[in-house]
Amino acid sequence: MVKDELINRSPLRILEKLLNGGLGKGNIGVLASKKGIGKTAFLANIATDKLCSDKPVIHVSFYKRTDHIISRYEDIFNEISKEKNLQNAAEISEEITRNRVIMNFNQQGIDVPRILSSMEALITGGNFKADTVIIDGFKIKEAGEEGLKAIKKFAQKLGLEIWISASLRMEGPVFNDAGIPYEIENLVDDFIDVLLTLKYDNQKIQMDIVKGHDGFGGQHSSHLYLDPKTLLVAAE
Amino acid sequence: MSLEKKLRNIGISAHIDSGKTTLSERILFFCNKIHAIHEVRGKDGVGATMDSMELERERGITIASAATNVEWKGTPINLIDTPGHVDFTVEVERSLRVLDGAILVLCSVGGVQSQSITVDKQLKRYNVPRLAFVNKCDRTGANPYKVKDQLIEKLGLNAVLAQIPIGLEDKHIGVVDLVRMKAIYFDADGGLGVEEKDIPADLNSEAEKMRENLLDAISMFSDELAELFLEGGEIPEDIIHDALRKGVLARGIVPVFVGSAYKNKGVQPLLDAVVKYLPAPIDVDNFALDLDDNEKEVLLKSEPTLPTVILAFKLEDGQYGQLTYIRIYQGSIKKGDELYNVRTRKKFKVGRLIKMHSNNMEDISEAGCGDIVALFGIDCASGDTFVKPGLNYSLTSMFVPEPVISLAVEPVDKKAADNMAKALNRFAKEDPTFRSYVDEESNQTIIQGMGELHLDVYIERMKREYKAEVQTGAPQVAYRETISKRADFDYTHKKQTGGAGQYGKVVGFMEPLSEGIYEFVNDIKGGKIPTEYIPACDKGFRTATKKGPLIGFPIVGVKMTINDGQSHPVDSSDMAFQSAALGAFRQAYLKAGPEILEPVMKVTVEGPTEFQGNIFGSINQRRGIIVSSVEDGRSSQVEAEVPLSEMFGYSTVLRSLTQGKAEFTMEFLKYSKIPKTISEELMKKFQEKK
Repeated sequence: MVKDELINRSPLRILEKLLNGGLGKGNIGVLASKKGIGKTAFLANIATDKLCSDKPVIHVSFYKRTDHIISRYEDIFNEISKEKNLQNAAEISEEITRNRVIMNFNQQGIDVPRILSSMEALITGGNFKADTVIIDGFKIKEAGEEGLKAIKKFAQKLGLEIWISASLRMEGPVFNDAGIPYEIENLVDDFIDVLLTLKYDNQKIQMDIVKGHDGFGGQHSSHLYLDPKTLLVAAE
Repeated sequence: MSLEKKLRNIGISAHIDSGKTTLSERILFFCNKIHAIHEVRGKDGVGATMDSMELERERGITIASAATNVEWKGTPINLIDTPGHVDFTVEVERSLRVLDGAILVLCSVGGVQSQSITVDKQLKRYNVPRLAFVNKCDRTGANPYKVKDQLIEKLGLNAVLAQIPIGLEDKHIGVVDLVRMKAIYFDADGGLGVEEKDIPADLNSEAEKMRENLLDAISMFSDELAELFLEGGEIPEDIIHDALRKGVLARGIVPVFVGSAYKNKGVQPLLDAVVKYLPAPIDVDNFALDLDDNEKEVLLKSEPTLPTVILAFKLEDGQYGQLTYIRIYQGSIKKGDELYNVRTRKKFKVGRLIKMHSNNMEDISEAGCGDIVALFGIDCASGDTFVKPGLNYSLTSMFVPEPVISLAVEPVDKKAADNMAKALNRFAKEDPTFRSYVDEESNQTIIQGMGELHLDVYIERMKREYKAEVQTGAPQVAYRETISKRADFDYTHKKQTGGAGQYGKVVGFMEPLSEGIYEFVNDIKGGKIPTEYIPACDKGFRTATKKGPLIGFPIVGVKMTINDGQSHPVDSSDMAFQSAALGAFRQAYLKAGPEILEPVMKVTVEGPTEFQGNIFGSINQRRGIIVSSVEDGRSSQVEAEVPLSEMFGYSTVLRSLTQGKAEFTMEFLKYSKIPKTISEELMKKFQEKK
């Protein structure tokens, strides 16, 4: 298989269709689930898909080091190229890493303006033409309305698609009747354009579209899931 | 106890300015002094003390040799000088290789900086167990706790405090030993001895807490300790030492010691720790490559009676000729033994055998397993393996990376020219990645190496050690040419006008070779080209690869196949087929999608976050790819891949962009294809020069 096919046949095209063409520039997408279900893998899938279409990605993380994030990407790419029997995989892998920057913040209590100003330094100072931003491991609840508002403004100003992961509490009821996580209920209306959730369902990690561009559709199954072994996005 | 069980071969690795030299000096000083004191005491029975004046004078000792033998409380220690620069050099790699353990020195103010990361990576690559010493606790802003956290966060080490400081900055007066739960002060015997007291009351609870952490961390290395720890009972000291040692040897733990070498605080307990926790030669696995078995790895055993395997890791010009530093990995040697140099395939006899001390050298008659000693008057290069005749093991792979940068050097006068020749000859022997030659066209001497800093080091050494003043030209990147697709050739070399003619015809194809520089395949059937001329074809192709037609740099990654041809009974000759092959190569080359490759460096820049935009910008302007950035608190570290040709003068630029607050390191990463606009420019320049 060659690269173009890889993009065309990606199960993420299904998600794009369901979202009427994808998240879109200037918009915020949130992927919410409990810890350890596969948010990072899902977002890295989205990022890898973008990278394969030559769209630069900034991956923001909040760990101590960056090497395991890089190897996460490598794993996903290797799985994809193995599964799809990709030709000249090594070359494409090198090509896509050119378009990816990992920005890692490991100070305690970093605030949103600090993150955005570093990103802006990279985009304008470093002339990095980012298309998509992945913000993983971010404390969305703590950032609150103020924080999300700033991120939204930033996305619009620089024409970025921004995906944010949200870790949900492990105990007690997590989702309301509309499938919206209680913890971010107050943010969904004004600042989140697309809300996806991941849930364990019968040995599978099922992805639901809770909010799309058309508004709330309830727990609308996307027929997409995460293969628990390879952590690749797959379609039913 | 035999030598291989008690010896320590250690190195001190550090970021510049973290006090490596001072610490090394203090180690030599204390080892010598303690030795001397014991001797004096033994003779007259009266304790000797020194005043601080004498102490100052004694401080003049510096490590001038590659390995210095000292003794600490009966344990022999070889202190190996690890080069301070972190540019990729074989020299650095080799000195790391002979270490069994290391002290990673960090500044208590600066903490883990980009260079500390580089040296730690080198230690990791060679799997060297290490202790950390947080130095300069007397400095304003000292915070060893923070540095310990950085060791965990930035280097991913399982660092745990084995001591805590008593007072910091100008109040730093001693340390608390968390194993023995004692306060240690360093004022006894006029600053030479150590004094143990009870822990100051205000540090008691802190010490208890940190001891808990320490015990918790090492409990996984000792079941005995884990049990006692859980029961909450008294834990005997030797069980703690034992668990710590196991943890260090397994590279599972890095105990952190604190002090100030400059103020003589904490050096003696650090030496105790070297003896207690770092490995002896017998505790470390070393491998050789069996050259009779396709470079297969064989485990060497630190046993004095087994056949000898030795690495020559450093050459030095001494007063009396060449001194070769060796490490004995297996077996032992005596004066008069016969050894075999695996590279040159020559046997030689062990003549003078030397042990280097900090202030003198000692002639010895034999050296045991694991030891580091020096040989006089052996003709060899550094990196050579010496074995007992009969073995064919090599300790280093025969692979040497090609240099990526070159520089023209011009001696200022006749004397400098003589000295320069001597120096170049020596450096090339010491370091296979350093080369020099005289360019036929310009008649200039060109030196080649692995980076700007690498060559700077040698130019500095020429001046300092060989008194060779030289002027240098602009550094030149070692580009390469290669091909991107298969192309056929069908070439006839013919000169048959009068006299002896020349005739040769070669047919075949060239194709890209993904690994390696050049390969030749003879696929001729039915003697179309007589066997005797095949080597000439190979030679012709090789000649063609020396200078590529695009920009005159060597061609790499080509596989040449010949499958047809023709010869003439009278006019064919070696010469004719060489010319034919050369012509065929040139014919096919331009059809094979020729490309220019350039060396790309892995660059790490570290500086205050407010300059991040400038740092990103400077990398972008240099055609660099930003791989990642890591921010913590006020500083940010940017990792990037940048072509070497764009990195000249970067330190100056970076300094002015960041008010001198950022620093960078780089090492060779790979060869990559050059963008079209730049390759066109290079080709234009090459054509003009022609």
